Amino acid sequence: MDDDDMEMDDYNDDFKLNTGPKRKSYEVDYSSLSQTSVEKSMREDVDHICGILGVESPVAALLLRHQAWNKERLIEKYMETPTTVLVESGATVPEPVAAPTPVRSHSVDKSTASPSSSRRATRSSSKLLSSLTSPTRLSFQKSNSISPSGTASPSKSRKDTKSEEPESFVCPICFDDSPDLKQLALDCGHVACSGCWNAYTTSKIRDEAEHSIRCMTEGCALVASDDFVRNILSDAAPAGTDVHENAVAWSRFQELLVRNFVAANQKLKFCPYPGCTNTVSCPSAAGKSVITSIVPTVSCGARGIPGSSSDKAGSSSSGVLQAREHVFCFGCTIESDHRPVVCAVAKLWLQKCEDDSETANWIKSNTKECSQCQSTIEKNGGCNHMTCKKCKYEFCWVCMGPWSEHGTAWYSCNRYDEKGSIDARDAQSRSRASLERYLHYYNRWANHEQSAKLSVELYAKTEKKMEDMQITSELTWIEVQFMKKAVEEVEKCRMTLKWTYAMAYYLARGNEKDLFEDNQRDLEKAVEDLSELLESPIETENIPTLRQKVTDKTVYVQKRNEIVLEDTATGFQDGRWRWNITVDGFEDPLEDSKVD
Amino acid sequence: MSGICRPRLAEERKQWRKDHPFGFFAKPAKNPDGSMNLMEWEVGIPGKTGTAWDGGLYKLSMIFPEDYPSKPPKCKFTPPLFHPNVYPSGTVCLSILDEEKSWKPAITIKQILLGIQDLLDDPNVLDPAQSDAYTMFKNDKVAYEKKIKQQARDNVPK
Repeated sequence: MDDDDMEMDDYNDDFKLNTGPKRKSYEVDYSSLSQTSVEKSMREDVDHICGILGVESPVAALLLRHQAWNKERLIEKYMETPTTVLVESGATVPEPVAAPTPVRSHSVDKSTASPSSSRRATRSSSKLLSSLTSPTRLSFQKSNSISPSGTASPSKSRKDTKSEEPESFVCPICFDDSPDLKQLALDCGHVACSGCWNAYTTSKIRDEAEHSIRCMTEGCALVASDDFVRNILSDAAPAGTDVHENAVAWSRFQELLVRNFVAANQKLKFCPYPGCTNTVSCPSAAGKSVITSIVPTVSCGARGIPGSSSDKAGSSSSGVLQAREHVFCFGCTIESDHRPVVCAVAKLWLQKCEDDSETANWIKSNTKECSQCQSTIEKNGGCNHMTCKKCKYEFCWVCMGPWSEHGTAWYSCNRYDEKGSIDARDAQSRSRASLERYLHYYNRWANHEQSAKLSVELYAKTEKKMEDMQITSELTWIEVQFMKKAVEEVEKCRMTLKWTYAMAYYLARGNEKDLFEDNQRDLEKAVEDLSELLESPIETENIPTLRQKVTDKTVYVQKRNEIVLEDTATGFQDGRWRWNITVDGFEDPLEDSKVD
Repeated sequence: MSGICRPRLAEERKQWRKDHPFGFFAKPAKNPDGSMNLMEWEVGIPGKTGTAWDGGLYKLSMIFPEDYPSKPPKCKFTPPLFHPNVYPSGTVCLSILDEEKSWKPAITIKQILLGIQDLLDDPNVLDPAQSDAYTMFKNDKVAYEKKIKQQARDNVPK
């Protein structure tokens, strides 16, 4: 106890410097955005493009999606060849003949003062084009067969359908010819009934996660605007369709649009937790080069999984612990906090564990290596006289020495200490050392993960007891909360410890690694002490002392954890860490620091 | 889509009976009880005259999903065909039969069958579906041609 207090005082001074409002060096600035706020910034981009290119917003949205939300590239391309860009993005139909320039120049005169500038001309011509197209985007041909711009409409087929109107309409998709069919078409004029549009759109959204809904006619690449899709899934939806299913499809469509926007923006990342629709914005972690010097652990702020039972049980405090916060790494695909180790190393480690851990364990306990060619050999019967299948080396399974020294001692080996066998075992132990080394780190890594789970389980049990105690004793609710805080801290530190083993495995030998391992050891010791305290029996009379001890220890553990995180984070920023293997984004290791 | 699927297939059947390209056949399969199963069609595609495929009538089955025509039918040669774009199972690999590529609800059965007929003599080497036919087509055109002609003879309608 005294020792701990002493140490705590020492560190208190250090930490006072860091406890200001400034973020700690192992943290990154980020903000969580709801779907609505991402939609808002999408709209801002769309409005921006509307203003610059002078197009209607549905067209601007299609243009942006097609150019992966790269405004500069879009503007540049649009200024060069507006028609090509519009056609490629599916916003307009290709015009078979040259654009009717007289109509356009007329409007140029009206809208802008300088017709000499070719740039201006492009701008206003697109304005006109969009004013031509947008009202017809949602044409109900029955009620509104003559569009305001009907005469100048670029689409030939629209006129055709108009002239056919007196005849009964047959939907080309379902061949229904009922007189009350609602007819819909995009600007291309390829009419189909609302039922077919609805079924097609829902299936595209639901089954293919597709936000770009193209015309149903073969060879037509026109994309439906958002308004068209909304209309199809609400007002224009045929009577027979499920209102709820339409609503689900519409909200899924909106989510797909947001995902498309987020995927195109390096500063944004969609929360990977199932069912979550939040986005995290972390400009400081955008780009590949930064993630070698920081570990951008972020959280979208939500907890639990929507609709799952743990979410509903959120009212009790054990529920809160189980409903995990949506913590993930902005730089890679790991869905947890992998501080202190950087993404590239964390990924290497996880890959290694996936390939190796169980196999390595089995190899270690069931096999030996041929002392000549190092092939791994399992002995599944027979005497001790082994012949390596690969190199035909004959040796004794017990002492690993060459068989030539054995003569006829097939089943018993009394030559364990002969020089030949000692040499052979030395060779073997060297090659086993790397395996041992890996397993050393892996077992500790796995152990911390396991212990973290156990401590949460333990807490669930303890909590019940504490609640009982609160009723039977004088203690208030606040006073029995210390356990919760401690368990949370233990869990957090075990996560840090877990990843420190991954880091230590790859760290090149040297003073830096020694210091790192000192910090790791201090944290580990503190965490194990606190864990032990948490498991001590709780009696009413010893609660005050236990609380004192646990609270003190928790604070200490917290500080040790911060030291580890702080030190590694500054190490990455200063480029202090050296690895024993080649890691993406880092310098290649020196020859002598390499470990097999 | 189930509401659209059957009427559409019935209409496709009607249109086909009214008019279809020469040498082709297409009819819904029979259920065990003798009734018509609109969701599965038995079709035959003739090889184009003047090509190595000439003379053969290649049978395939078209299986329509419940959400046809939002989703394309599955077209499968029975028995599987020796062709670079036909999977060992017999399934045809063609962009207009892929809902994530060029499939559109407006594509008719007639268009599909004509599309497959075109594919027979004009394989798409960028999208191989079986290795036997693909490697032979790439490395030994003469042997490929011979094999196709043999296959055509094997598929002469009785």
